[in-house]
Amino acid sequence: MVEYRIDRHSGVATYVQIVQQTKQALRMGLLMPGDRLPTAREVVEATAINPNTVLKAYRELEREGLVEARRGLGTFVRRGLGATPADSPLRTELEEWARRARAAGLERDDVAALFTAVLDKHFQGDPS
Amino acid sequence: MSSDTALRAEALGKRFGRRGRALRDCSFRLPAGRVCAVVGPNGAGKSTLLTLAAGLAAPTEGTLSVLGTTPAAARPRVGYLAQDKPLYPQLTIAETLRMGADLNPGRWDAAAAEEVVAAGDLDPGSRVRTLSGGQHTRVALALALGKRPELLLLDEPMADLDPLARHQLMGTLMAEAAQHGTTIVMSSHVVAELEDSCDHLLLVGDGRIRLSGDIDELLAAHLRVTAPESAALAPHTVVDSRVTGRQLSALIRPAGPVPDAWRTSAPSLEELVLAHLRNPGAPSLVEESAA
Amino acid sequence: MTTASTGNRPRTVRWLLRLHRPALYGWAALVVVLAGVLLAVRGPLTDAAAEGWRQYNACQGEDTACSYDQDAILRYKDWSGYATFAVTALPFLVAGWAGGALTGRELETGTAWLGWTQSTSPARWLAVRLAVPAAVVTAGAAVTVWLHHLAWSAGQGRVDTAKEWYDRFVFHANGPSTVALALAGLAAGALCGLLLRRTLPALLLGVVVTAVVRLAAEFALPHLWPAVTRLAGTDQVANGSGITVDEGYVTRSGAHVPLSHCAWDRPCADVVARFHTYQPRSHYWPLQLTTSALILAVAALLVAACFLVLRRRTGATHTAQAPAVPTGAAV
Repeated sequence: MVEYRIDRHSGVATYVQIVQQTKQALRMGLLMPGDRLPTAREVVEATAINPNTVLKAYRELEREGLVEARRGLGTFVRRGLGATPADSPLRTELEEWARRARAAGLERDDVAALFTAVLDKHFQGDPS
Repeated sequence: MSSDTALRAEALGKRFGRRGRALRDCSFRLPAGRVCAVVGPNGAGKSTLLTLAAGLAAPTEGTLSVLGTTPAAARPRVGYLAQDKPLYPQLTIAETLRMGADLNPGRWDAAAAEEVVAAGDLDPGSRVRTLSGGQHTRVALALALGKRPELLLLDEPMADLDPLARHQLMGTLMAEAAQHGTTIVMSSHVVAELEDSCDHLLLVGDGRIRLSGDIDELLAAHLRVTAPESAALAPHTVVDSRVTGRQLSALIRPAGPVPDAWRTSAPSLEELVLAHLRNPGAPSLVEESAA
Repeated sequence: MTTASTGNRPRTVRWLLRLHRPALYGWAALVVVLAGVLLAVRGPLTDAAAEGWRQYNACQGEDTACSYDQDAILRYKDWSGYATFAVTALPFLVAGWAGGALTGRELETGTAWLGWTQSTSPARWLAVRLAVPAAVVTAGAAVTVWLHHLAWSAGQGRVDTAKEWYDRFVFHANGPSTVALALAGLAAGALCGLLLRRTLPALLLGVVVTAVVRLAAEFALPHLWPAVTRLAGTDQVANGSGITVDEGYVTRSGAHVPLSHCAWDRPCADVVARFHTYQPRSHYWPLQLTTSALILAVAALLVAACFLVLRRRTGATHTAQAPAVPTGAAV
C-alpha cells in the first residue's frame, strides 16, 4: 500500500504530487500489478486534502493506463513501470556525457539547466 | 436527492437593526457535493451567511434556499457548528451523543458519531466541561456528523486548534465528504488553512460576494502579469495593479490573449483572494457554472 | 447505516429534564421542605399558640403574675410569617430561574443554537421549555398554596395574632393567584432571557417584571369585583372588615368626598355621613379568581411575546419535520 505525503510548499499541484508518488511507488516496486490503491476516503482522512483532488489524480493514472477503477471495489494497478537498472547502456552514456560536461568547465547548475531544457524539448506535452 | 444545489442565494441581504448591514445583495449558487471555503476578513459577513443557511436567523432581503427548500424545512438535513462550538458542559460525551440520537430520530448514525469521538482517544464518560479545545471541537463535530447531514455548515471550525488537531479534524471532514458526498461549507479568515481541502470558493468582502465558483475555474480565469509600465491593460478586467519603477504588475481577468511581451503566471488562491480584498472596487466574479 | 427509528418524534422533554435536573431536584426539595413547615404550622405550632392564647386570656383581670406560653405564641408568629414569605417568593424564584437558566444562559453560551440545529424547530424548543416547567411549577405551587391555606385556616379564631384574610401577603399565598404569578414569572423570565441573551441580566429583569406584574395585580385587586359600601354617622367610623376600596364623607348632594375634605380646623357642614367601600370576606374567592385570571392573561401575553421574539430572530418557526420524503434516502 502506498502512503501519500503532500508538500504544501512544493509549488507542485496536489494531484500531480499524488500522480508522481504513485509512479515512484510503481518504479520502486512498492506497488505491483493487482495491488489496490488506497480509497479516496483513506487518502483524504490521512492528508486532509479534498476528495476530488484524489479522484482527479486517479483519473489521470487511469488515463495513462497505469491503474483501473473497478466499481465498488476500488482502484487497482494494471501494470508496473519499468525501473531503469543502474547498469543500462543509457545510464552509461549519460555518465560519460556528464564527465565531458564537467571537463568542459560547466558547473552543476549549468548542467541541470541544460538537462532540463533538453528534457522540456523532447518530452514536451507529456505529463510529468 | 431533492436537489443538486446545496445553497442558492438571490439578492440576499441581512440588516441588524441600526447597526447596519451584515450582508447585501448576495447572489450565488453552491452545487451539492462540494467542499466550499467561505473566506473573508473578520466581520465581512461570513458568520451571518452561515447562520442564515442554518435557519438561525432570517434574511431581511432576498431569499436563500437550502437543499432546494427553505432553511427551516431543511433543518433535519443540515448540520451546523457555531464558532464557539456550544455544548452542554454538564453532560458527558456519551450523553451528548445520546441527546443527538434522541433529537434526530430516524437520522442518527451512532456508529459514525462514536467513531469520530473514538478517533480522538476520548473517554465517553468524561464530562464536556473537562475537555480541551480540540477535544471539545471533536465532540461538537461528532454531534454534527452523527446527524448524517447532507449539508454541513462550519463557522471557523479550526480556529484555536493546534496544528495536529486541525489536520486530524480536517481529515475527518474530508473522509465524510468522500464517503457520503456531504456538502461542506466552512468559513475562515485564513486562506491557507482551507486551500488543500476546498474545491469551491465564496469570497465575502464587506457584506458582498466578491468571488464565487470552482476554485480551479476561478484561478484559471485570472492571470498574474508583469508588463512595461506603459502597457495598456484594457480590454482586460483589472483586479489589482501596481507600478514599481518601470514595471507594472497586475492581476487581471483576461478578455482575450495577452501580448507575448508580457510575462504571465497563474496566481495562487491566496494572491487571488488578497487582490480582491485589497481592491473593494474591483468587479466581482460569480460563476453560474455547473448549473 | 441509520439506527432504527423508534418513534419519529424527537425526545425533547427527556433532555430538558436531564439538562435542568439540579433545578428540578431543588424545586422538589423546596416544595417538600415548605410542605413540612406548613404542616408543622398547621398542627403543633398552631395548637401550642392557641393554648398560649387561652392561658393568656384566662389571665385577664388577675393582677398577680400570670404564666402563659409566650414562646409558643412567638414561634407561631415567626414560622407562619416565614411560610407566607416563602410562598410569596416562589414566583420570583421561578422567574429568576427561567430568565437565567432556561433561556438566558442557553442564548449566552450558544447552546440554544445547538438545540435549534437538531431536527426540531426553535418554536418546538421554546414550547417544550415553557410547557414542561409550567406543569412542574403549577404542581409544586398548587400544593404549597393549598397547604398554606390549611395552615392559615387552622389559626383562625384560635390564635389572636393570626393574619387576616386580606393581609396583602396572606391573600395571595392562600390562593391560586400565587400559582398564576409563578406561571407569569416563568414566561417573564423566559422572555427576558430571549431578549437580553445574558444570564444575569435576564435573571434580574425576570424578577423585576414579575414584581411589576404582582404590584399591578395588587393595585387592580380591589376593583376586580363589585364592592360593598357601608354608611355611618359623621362622628362614627364606618368600618367594614376587608379590603378597603375607598372611604370618606357623603355630602348632602350625595357625592362622595375624601376624608381630607374635613379636618379639625376646617369643619365641614355639608357632609351627612361617612362611607366605607370595601371588599368583605365573602368576596375572597371571586377576587382570587379574577386576580388569577388577570395574571394568567398577562402570562399568556408574555408567552406570545416569547414566540414573537423567537420568530423575529430565527425567521420561520413552523415545524421543521421533513415532509413526505423519507429521511433515510439521504445516505
